[in-house]
Amino acid sequence: MEHGAGAARAGVGRGRVDGVFAALGDPGRRSLVEAVAARGSATATELAAALPVTRQAVAKQLVLLADAGLLRATRSGRETRYEVTPEPLGDAVAWMVEVGARWDERLAALGRSLARGTGAR
Amino acid sequence: MQVEREIVFPASPAEVWEALTEPERLEEWFATEVELDPRPGGRGSFRWGNGEERHATVREAEPEERLVLDWDDGGGEVVLELAEVEEGTLLHVVEASPEWSTALELHALAWAAVA
Repeated sequence: MEHGAGAARAGVGRGRVDGVFAALGDPGRRSLVEAVAARGSATATELAAALPVTRQAVAKQLVLLADAGLLRATRSGRETRYEVTPEPLGDAVAWMVEVGARWDERLAALGRSLARGTGAR
Repeated sequence: MQVEREIVFPASPAEVWEALTEPERLEEWFATEVELDPRPGGRGSFRWGNGEERHATVREAEPEERLVLDWDDGGGEVVLELAEVEEGTLLHVVEASPEWSTALELHALAWAAVA
């Protein structure tokens, strides 16, 4: 950990790198990033319902992760919706984004297939 | 590492189960060409229009409740769970890739160290 942080500090763009490093140094925040990636996008309320933490605690960590460039925030009504920015996270998150997008397409097609199926009966 | 989706269809669990397990129905939404024996130990073959082909083995099949497939290429598992709800059927999908469970952490640390 210390070696990695030192190397990052010596490089360019150290603010962002340190931010990513610090943001993912905490197991709770890592699992939050995974939970957001698994769902495609999520709000603090949705994540708090699935995790053993309060909505306030989740919201605070999400702001920190967005500041570090790991999540992208968009307003959705009264809530902020977050999605993962794949670039700093590489293949693992790219896999989740791609597999998630395939399921979104498949489930939409399944919905159309079921609508035809029930209509034919 | 996993991908998770939940969706409610205005159809009965029996209708959704049929769409999840009958090859000709799977060809309407999952892949272009499908062969599947939806029993524990049964084999599945899936081909897509882009030439991709994958094979799976059925690990669990509880009609109208739960279907679990293991990808034969070591690409993890797909768990499909059905639950009857007022509006129809809730389908819960989890695609998991166990060998990637620590990839997020390792890649992020590697990226932070070299960037």
